[in-house]
Order: sequence, then structure tokens, then C-alpha cells
Amino acid sequence: MTEVLPESKSSNGTYGGALLEVDNLHVEFHTRAGVAKAVNGVTYSVNAGETLAVLGESGSGKSVTAQTIMGILDMPPGKIANGEIRFRGTDLLKLPEEERRKVRGEGIAMIFQDALSALNPVFPVGWQIAEMFRIHRGMSRADAKKKAIELMDRVRIPAAKERVSDYPHQFSGGMRQRIMIAMSIALDPEVLIADEPTTALDVTVQAQIMELLAELQRESNMGLILITHDLGVVADVADKIAVMYGGRIVENAEVHDLYRNPAHPYAKGLLESIPRVDLKGQELYAIKGMPPNLLDMPTGCAFHPRCPYRQEKCVTDVPPLHTISGTRGSACHFWREVLDGDAQ
Amino acid sequence: MGRYAIRRLLQLIPVLLGTTFLINYMVWQLPGDPFAARCGQRPCPDAYINAMRAEFGLDQPIIVQYWHFLKNLLTGDLGVNFNNVSVASQLAESWPITVRLGLMAVAIEAVIGIVAGVLSGLKRGGFLDNVITISTLILLSLPVFVTGFLLQWLLGVQLDLIKPTVSDGAPFVELIVPAFVLASLNLAFTARLTRTSIIENRRSDYVRTAIAKGLSNRRVVGVHLLRNSLIPALTFIGTEVGSLMSGAIITEGIYNINGIGGLLWRAVNDHDFTIVVPIASLLVLVYLLANLLVDLLYGVLDPRIRYE
Repeated sequence: MTEVLPESKSSNGTYGGALLEVDNLHVEFHTRAGVAKAVNGVTYSVNAGETLAVLGESGSGKSVTAQTIMGILDMPPGKIANGEIRFRGTDLLKLPEEERRKVRGEGIAMIFQDALSALNPVFPVGWQIAEMFRIHRGMSRADAKKKAIELMDRVRIPAAKERVSDYPHQFSGGMRQRIMIAMSIALDPEVLIADEPTTALDVTVQAQIMELLAELQRESNMGLILITHDLGVVADVADKIAVMYGGRIVENAEVHDLYRNPAHPYAKGLLESIPRVDLKGQELYAIKGMPPNLLDMPTGCAFHPRCPYRQEKCVTDVPPLHTISGTRGSACHFWREVLDGDAQ
Repeated sequence: MGRYAIRRLLQLIPVLLGTTFLINYMVWQLPGDPFAARCGQRPCPDAYINAMRAEFGLDQPIIVQYWHFLKNLLTGDLGVNFNNVSVASQLAESWPITVRLGLMAVAIEAVIGIVAGVLSGLKRGGFLDNVITISTLILLSLPVFVTGFLLQWLLGVQLDLIKPTVSDGAPFVELIVPAFVLASLNLAFTARLTRTSIIENRRSDYVRTAIAKGLSNRRVVGVHLLRNSLIPALTFIGTEVGSLMSGAIITEGIYNINGIGGLLWRAVNDHDFTIVVPIASLLVLVYLLANLLVDLLYGVLDPRIRYE
């Protein structure tokens, strides 16, 4: 593989940090109704071969963060107010557009939730995959098509050779997502961002797609950022989790720690709202209230109107991300109580 | 695709039969006898009228007349008009001029309309967008004959940039302004359709994907966005070829172009069905073929509705 990625620009020439680091990112949307603060100081990182799951409900800022990393945020109305996104030590946000473009697809690639609308309806799928090789690698049409067929084989699309000239609407939902994946891994990116890759699919297909992603990751040692609101998907594949709420990370944890003992009331609420066989017949737990309005965020902790642990302090003071141990953190004033489990 | 085209072509036959019959029937619903007023100031003698009616078969029932029309059409013999001039030769003289005018108008509306629409859609709310939106609004609110007379007066009479009327043979250069006039309404519509379509598709998921693939802005817009955004504009341009033909009659009148418009106009005034019927039938055929072409083109542009 030819190396066209921007090299680290740190003073000593080598870069010791993580492969991709999001550092104190702030993103706002300027609308007629006011400024919506979609991302408020998000920090996370992913290393080669590692899977980070970003968990959160709609409007928590998880997709906006991903779009900012990719540089596909609509600006305006979007605006990056602060922060850095370092890829191999280089701040992507400071790169000129031409160099930024080379990172897309080559260094960091992305797959989207709805593959039908994310693929161009008027071009054959093979053409769309081959475009990566033709534009980034200057391959001829014939060679690029061969590579496209190889990739379609690799993501296990049956009869890839015959189907290379078919159009997106001629494939099933799962197959379309496979094509999307084939396109994204075409140039062996170092980081793959999967934005709710299985949300639009039915459960059996979901599992297949997650397996495929995990397998591809093992083969090529990519860093994977998996954005989802589905806790079930996360448990099997992720190494670490960042839980987002109201544009902030409210809990950072290794997957097992979070599942065993969440340290933030929101994460705890999410876990308790998973249907469980042993609780069949009982009423399913639900987090009370509504997600926060980004135009009118609650004072103090954004989660306080819905929180069973709420105290006066929560209404006035924004909780910092307290370090619990090592990489684990919780943005809750009362994380000790949450960990101990004496709720309500 | 091929089978579909053949089926569609076969479907044209009953449509053509029906419309040409209606045209034949309806020219006789025009008030007045075509031969009664052909003798200057005084009324024509009955003997002349009867002789002419018999010569052109007007004494026979409409069905028989229609049968003769079809037979003549299929043998390519369109006969002579009331003044004993060959109909076919008159059509052969005027038809190419109208076709040239029409094709120029289609080219103008497609090129200018789409370019203006794309530019204004990409820079929505910008200066160029405002200029284009306002000027298309002006074009849309002016009837073709107003635009026609206005440009004739302004460019032809006041500024002396063009000849106010087109000379015989209708050379290409002299047809540019009339073709623009003819295209003006559709041009404005095309520009607006393209603009809307560009604005809509620009925020679409597949455009976002194209950017995420690391493609240059030029390729994202020129390949991924444009191909999708052109579909509604091209459909519109194609289906409006028919209305362009009827607009041609007015434009040809203003600029004194000897196309089928003028021919048709004089023939209608003279009640000369020998000219009216073939021209009207020809216009129907053009309209039907243009629609068929659009349907086939639609399938080429948008694989989702491709015909098996």
C-alpha cells in the first residue's frame, strides 16, 4: 500500500498517542431558533485493532461527532467551535481541504445507517466500489472493476461477478450494507467509522453484518468506531464504550466494567431497559422523561430532569468527567452512589 | 428495453388513428363553407361550390373522407390544396425551418436552463441565485408573444443588432433570437426545476457518501449530484416538445418565419383542410414520439424504473 497519509508533525518525529483522537470537540448548529450545541467537549480515542462503541440516543451528538471526524458535516449550519481531531498526531481540522480529502477513504472511512440512500441510485454497485480505485489509485476501469469484484467476494456477496453491474435497488438490505462495507474498506483504511450500521436491518442480518465487521477488523487491524443506540450489538464486539448524552460523554468504560457495574445513572438506565428473559412478565424499565432539547439545555447536568439520583448540586453544577480508575470515567457528581447501586 | 419500445410504438397506432380522425372531423366544425368566400366581393356561384366540393370529396360522408385521407397518407400522396399547389411540396419547404427553430429552442432551453439551475442551486441564496431566480420569474410571467415583440423592438428596431424579421431560408444566425423567444418559458421552468432538484439532492445521503469517499468537489457535483438532478429537467424538456411546437406558430408569426406555423395559420383562415389536417397530424406524431423518447430516456437515466 502506498503511503499518502499525512505524517505526524509532532516535534520528535514519532507519535506516541492513539491512532485517532477526538479532543475536547465542540460543534454547534446555528439555526433561526438559536444555537444548538450538539457536541460539547467530546474526547475519545481509538487505536489500531480496537473497537470503540459510542452509545447514545438520537440527538446525543454521536453521529455529529463522527461526521466531524469525516469532514462531512454540513457547514453551515454546523460550526466547529473548538477542539482537535488528531489522526496519527495531525489535527485534521487544520488540514487544507485537499489534504483532508486524501484522508477520507484512505485513512478513515465510514459506513452509514441506511445503505439504500447512502449508495447512489443511478450507478451500478461495482462502479461505485471501483470508483475508489480509479480516483485514489488511478487504476483503469477494467482493473478497478476486478478489484471491486474481489471486494464483493470478500464481504461475501454471492455471485459477485454477475452482480457487479447491478444497481443498489436490486439488492436486499443486508447485501446493500455489505456493498457499503466493501466500498469503505476498499483502500484499507486505518479507521472505520460505522454509524448505526445495523439499525435498518432485521435481527439475523444484524448479527451477520456485525460478524463481518469484526472479521474484517481482525484481518486488517483497523480501529473501529461503532456508533449505535443498541446495547445488544455493543456487548459482543466492542472493547470500550463511550456513552453520550446531550452532546457530552457521560461515561467511559471497558465494555465488561460498564455491563457489570455502570457508573452513570443514564448508562445504568439504559442497561436496565434491556428486556431480560428472567424478568419476563414484569414491567420493562424505561428512563423517564424526554431527551434534552439542544436549543434549551437543562442547567447543570443535562440528565438531571430524568435522574433518580438528582440532588440540588446537579441542577446548578455541570459535573466534570470524574476519573474512577485508569481510563474509566463518569460525568456524575454521585458516581460512587451509582456504582454502589443504592438507587432511588 | 427493446420489447418495451416496440410495444410502445405499436400503441401509437390506435392513438394516431383516433387523433387524426378527430382532426378530420373537427375541421368541419369550423363555421362557414371553405369555397363560398373565394370569389372576391360577390358570393360564389353554386355551380363552382358544388364542383369544388366534389373535387375535394366533401360531398361524401366523413368516414369515407377519412378513409381517403388514410389511403393518401400511406401512399405518400398528400394531393393539392385549394389553390392547386402540391401540399407535400409546401410541407417540405416549411417543415425543415420549423424543425430547425424547434431544435435550436430545445438546445437553448436545455443548455442555459440546466447551467443556470445548477449554478443557482449550488450557491443557494447567493448573488447569482437571486439574479437567476428573478430573471426566470420575469420570463415565466411574460407570454411568449410579449417576449417576442419586446426583443424584436429592442434588439431589432432600437439597437439594430438583429434583423427584425427573418429572411427567406431562415439562416441559423437569424434564428437565434426567435429560438430564444420560443424557448424562454421552458428555459425558465427548466432552470427552476434543476435548481430545486440540485438543492434537494445536495443534502442527500449518497452525496454525503461521495464526499466521505474522498472524491473531489468537482466529481461529487459533476458526477454524483448532476446525474440524479438532471432526471426531472430532462423529463420536462422532452414532454414539452409538443407545447414548443404550438409556441412556434406564434414565434414564426412575429418574426415572419416561413415555417409550418405561418402555413398553418393561413390554412386555418382559408378553411383549407388539405393543409390543416396533415400539419396537425404531424404535430401529433411529433408529440407522441417525443413522449416515447422521454420514457425511454428516463429508463436510461434512472435504473430504478428501467423496463424489463
